[in-house]
Amino acid sequence: MATELPTTNGHTANGETSNFQVKAGLARMLKGGVIMDVVNAEQARIAEEAGAVAVMALERVPADIRSQGGVARMSDPALISSIMATVTIPVMAKARIGHFVECQILEALGVDYIDESEVLTPADNTYHVEKSGFKVPFVCGCRNLGEALRRISEGAAMIRTKGEAGTGDVVEAVKHMRTVNTQIARAANMSTEELRAYARELEVPFELLQETAQLKRLPVVNFAAGGVATPADAALMMQLGCDGVFVGSGIFKSGNAAKRAKAIVQAVTHYKDPKVLAEVSKDLGEAMVGINCGKMDEGEKMAGRGW
Amino acid sequence: MITVGVLALQGAFSEHIQLLRQAAMTIKPATPESPNFQFVEVRTQDELSKCDALIIPGGESTAISLVAARSGLLEPLRDFVKVERKPTWGTCAGLILLAESANRTKKGGQELIGGLDVRVERNHFGRQLDSFATDLKLPFLDPDVDAKPFKSVFIRAPVVEKILPHKEGIQTEEAEQVDTVVAPSKTPKDDAAKRMLGGEVEILATLPAGSASQSAAAKGGDVIAIRQGNVFGTSFHPELTGDPRIHTWWLERVSEQVKMKSTTA
Repeated sequence: MATELPTTNGHTANGETSNFQVKAGLARMLKGGVIMDVVNAEQARIAEEAGAVAVMALERVPADIRSQGGVARMSDPALISSIMATVTIPVMAKARIGHFVECQILEALGVDYIDESEVLTPADNTYHVEKSGFKVPFVCGCRNLGEALRRISEGAAMIRTKGEAGTGDVVEAVKHMRTVNTQIARAANMSTEELRAYARELEVPFELLQETAQLKRLPVVNFAAGGVATPADAALMMQLGCDGVFVGSGIFKSGNAAKRAKAIVQAVTHYKDPKVLAEVSKDLGEAMVGINCGKMDEGEKMAGRGW
Repeated sequence: MITVGVLALQGAFSEHIQLLRQAAMTIKPATPESPNFQFVEVRTQDELSKCDALIIPGGESTAISLVAARSGLLEPLRDFVKVERKPTWGTCAGLILLAESANRTKKGGQELIGGLDVRVERNHFGRQLDSFATDLKLPFLDPDVDAKPFKSVFIRAPVVEKILPHKEGIQTEEAEQVDTVVAPSKTPKDDAAKRMLGGEVEILATLPAGSASQSAAAKGGDVIAIRQGNVFGTSFHPELTGDPRIHTWWLERVSEQVKMKSTTA
């Protein structure tokens, strides 16, 4: 299969081969798994028992950030530490786009991954964090190939779709994944000269685009995120080529969080088996109510943050 | 033809399959036209039943164990490893699952498959910030001191904390330890399987002092590769390198064991 992620990362951020191998390596260990947003230690335990491969520790899930408004920042370090002390799976936490001091704080806390996330209010409207210098690995969101490769060139060791967080509507995540796939397919059919021009158009380093074109996939692990609410949504993203799934508000804003969490975990492993998907989708109770992305103003969308 | 499965519930299974393919190309086939091996992803009991050997990859051991249980695979896996005694290799999370005893598990413990009479300590080196890659001499691979070292990647890795004596039944003394979980006992199904179990655990590699400069826990001497009969375990990730030497070594052992079993059956 041409779309396998090769066992070594051709990509070497600033020549730090082995450091990047260790950072991108953890993302590989998360593949085929579900990473769940949790707001306290109790939810983190539910996620762990459901079979989550990692949890994202935050004060408010995106659905609440959306409804409550105001500035959304890095979570209280005490909350993150209490979640780290409660579970044995990796713990991730979010920093604002461009807020490298929040990243320094999260690294000092010892979190396992930082999500430089559009779900929080951006702290810098020109620059993303320069991520290669950190020892802690980063995951970043993207809407298209250009965003994905720019984040990787800044040092991100894992990519996710932006989707539209806190809506329970998977349409934007699908759009972002399909956009990335289409652009990679286009690049894969280009000559070297065309690739150079395409690299300028996408505003990405030529070498990284060339590597992506050869691999016919992103050169790092790529998860789905933003709007996944059901086992079917999760399996849809996997069948579109994602390596795993983030579920934010979709679990703990639903009727039966523990059951839904387990069902989504099973759906991500058995994403190609509709019989299993039918079985795990039964009697899950109410899904999160959700917001239809088609009825939102562009200004309300979080995915437009970052570039 | 030998069918080698890679447990594909979660984790770095695709990496193992890629390196197995590379390794198989370096092993001379019995007849030029027929390949020696085929490699398959295993998610169901049916897929497992077709395998002569199995790799349990790196990933999150708690997640793999929970998904295995819910997919009806836990008991078939225990039968594969401990009743049939078929060749099985676990890396990182896979090593944890193949241990008869493990500690620092999640609250409430976790299910183990077992097969290796050892106690494994999860996340021995600490969190991701303590993960590291280092060049190791692996004498089991090549006893020559000048052999090319193996780039070994340790990610939130476990180590073998204690080698246990082999027992009929479960590891009772381990079961009495606080915060330690043990695997249920299984009996090899016949004499051939008993011979596969072999004797005690062999230590194949330890970590030299100073390998993990960032990590206070890496004082040297940590056991990172072991074998007991049909079961092989490494606490690091050979699947995260472009180097198929350990996969080649293991496939050769698999061939020997499959041949031995078929001649004694």
